[in-house]
Amino acid sequence: MAIQLKNWTLPLAIAALCVAGCGKKSDTASTEDGAATSMTEEGAAAPSNMAGTIKINGSSTVLPISNAVAEQFGKQYPEVSVSVDGAGTGNGFKDFQVKKTDISDASRPIKPGEKEKCTENEVSFIEVPVAYDGLTIVINPKNDWVETLTIEQLTKIFVGEDAAKTWQDVDPSWPAEKIDIYAPGTGSGTYDYFHEVVVGKSDSELRKDMSLNEDDNILVKGVADNKNAIGFFGVAYYEESKDKLKAVQIINPKDGQAYLPTTDNIASGSYAPFSRPLFIYVSLASLKRAEVQTFVSYYLDNVSELCERVGYVRLPASIIEKGKANIENRVAGTHYISPEGETRSGALEDVFVESNLVK
Amino acid sequence: MSTMPSALTSQDPKYLTNNAIRRKRLSSWFYGLCVAIAFVSVLILVVLLAAIWAQGQSRLTVDLLTRAHSELEIERSGMWPSIIGSLIVCFVCAMAALPLGIATAVFLEEFKPTSKPLRLIHGFIQLNIANLAGVPSIVYGLLGLTVFVYMFNVFGQIKVNESPGLEIMGADHYYQVMTLQPGHVVFVPQEDASVREIEITEPIEAVDNSGNRFELAVWKPGTPRPKDEATKRQTIEEGAIGGTITRRSWYYFRLPLDKSFLSGGFTLALVILPIIIIASQESLRAVSPSLREASMGIGATTWQTVRHVCLPAAIPGIMTGSILAMGRAIGEAAPILVVLGATVMKGGGPEHLMDNAITMPVLIFNWAGRQQNEFQELAAAAIIVLLVVLLILNSTAIIIRQKVQKAHN
Repeated sequence: MAIQLKNWTLPLAIAALCVAGCGKKSDTASTEDGAATSMTEEGAAAPSNMAGTIKINGSSTVLPISNAVAEQFGKQYPEVSVSVDGAGTGNGFKDFQVKKTDISDASRPIKPGEKEKCTENEVSFIEVPVAYDGLTIVINPKNDWVETLTIEQLTKIFVGEDAAKTWQDVDPSWPAEKIDIYAPGTGSGTYDYFHEVVVGKSDSELRKDMSLNEDDNILVKGVADNKNAIGFFGVAYYEESKDKLKAVQIINPKDGQAYLPTTDNIASGSYAPFSRPLFIYVSLASLKRAEVQTFVSYYLDNVSELCERVGYVRLPASIIEKGKANIENRVAGTHYISPEGETRSGALEDVFVESNLVK
Repeated sequence: MSTMPSALTSQDPKYLTNNAIRRKRLSSWFYGLCVAIAFVSVLILVVLLAAIWAQGQSRLTVDLLTRAHSELEIERSGMWPSIIGSLIVCFVCAMAALPLGIATAVFLEEFKPTSKPLRLIHGFIQLNIANLAGVPSIVYGLLGLTVFVYMFNVFGQIKVNESPGLEIMGADHYYQVMTLQPGHVVFVPQEDASVREIEITEPIEAVDNSGNRFELAVWKPGTPRPKDEATKRQTIEEGAIGGTITRRSWYYFRLPLDKSFLSGGFTLALVILPIIIIASQESLRAVSPSLREASMGIGATTWQTVRHVCLPAAIPGIMTGSILAMGRAIGEAAPILVVLGATVMKGGGPEHLMDNAITMPVLIFNWAGRQQNEFQELAAAAIIVLLVVLLILNSTAIIIRQKVQKAHN
């Protein structure tokens, strides 16, 4: 029947399109090899014949870094398929625990509960810091009273239900204007990290009357439009909106000096305690596979250069070298949980040392 | 005369004129209000489109249509893989949802049961479908995750280094071993799929990329290391470990479906199924009963009536419903995010049945959340492309519907 036949033309047309689409690979993988290979080792100009699949899931903050490395890696190793998902640090570890992924991206160290699950399922991992993210506290450029903030002042502003309602409550010389707070959502690693810094080990919570949003662009807009606002997010978002926002200098509790979240200050560790390390967790079992091994060493060789291109701050070379050595020697375990199951916190250089390693 | 109501007998002409003017004025006001309300919605759409156009038109380039997402060359990022991905996912969705939806509608409308318990069940199904149409799509995403991605774990779980799930066809397993030549690997055919890795200490038969078999030599540390490249490419270090890799043909199929475009398509099919069923039911109901009765009257069975009378008459209405439903499917981001994840780095469309796909809404969602201005503009440009693709698909469907209608008349 003619009618029925004609009904098939649309699906058929789509099917034809699909078949055409499957065959054609986009040209990102093949072009511009010159630029890509110039930074890799000698004699590697010809693409490798290595095959295989690597699965990565985890923090959406680390996602751009892993994407960038995967993109560059794909030019050299076109046959290896690397899938990078960004479901969040917690969800990433959930997949990692049940052996769904080879590598887990994390914007905070692994938590004791997550480590227990890994042990239960016999997943051993190597903890590798890959870059710094500077958590930036921002205010409106028209705000002319705040230049620097101490951790105590931030605690006054952000913690508990009796937190400061007006700027005057924080410092008597400041105006009696209401403080409006813009912060990332409670599910994000950024929120977790900020919470850890200002609350510390006590049980108190951040105040509830903040405008929370998962979309950092909305936070940027919120602070940019409101003279009395304060907010915080990753340094990459601040760098893109420098003209609309003002970063607050944070007093380093150790030396009492105020520092801006500049690349130098973050890399040198002066911008403490708000420069946070980003990690990848590599499954030890997967590391036996040639493609994972090659990818991870490629990751560590190139991450310092690539993370800057996507808006993050490189780690000191010594820490990258230590990560490489741990991969080389298959040193499994985390540095952030004590043998008693307590979380360790502190600057990366202080925590990421051999004596802290717990299997 | 005295029986007439006083309103008709004692009319005040002045009052009547005034009243008429007042009523007419009210009527024209109401008309104006309706036009204004209609314009508000149009205005919002126009403002939205203009804003997107202003933001995105500078990024409407060939690169956008032909290249893939790029983290390092943002200005040359493109959406080609997502266009293909979206079309394929929607194709799978249509293939699953249309037959199922129309068949359900035919069952519910044309094969109405007569006995009381069956009528109750019929009513229950009807009620459920009406309710399902209002369920938020993210709920379907979670449903799809359990039903298609994990399949209740009845076929085992897919684990890296351990289990690839229940592979049915199209998979060739090899052990991949690194040779002495950096970056070069050789493949050892796998005989027992349950052994996921081997340690090679003896020379063994291997294949290279073009499928030639050769004897893989083993170099013992301490003995002289081979110098020339050809030998190095066929020699491995003693004790080298071979991990499993899988060469997949395009028809590679395994259970559970995991994060494949098939799962995505089936999940979207669940989302639009109630819409298709309800639309099809409505258009079947609109077929004149006299047609049905005439067909029955000349001795046709219920199936013959459905096949030759009801369905052809209802096809235009069914197609309209399907077009609307497919438009919704291509724009859905939430269930796809749950089922396929937020992956955006992919060079092309799916390469085999179990391959992941990225879709346009997910890519737009990802781009719109980035801090770089370029990505914001790209997101706007991608929205324009999505609208154009939608428009093309819809107009194709409408043209087909028109032709079907003509052929039927």
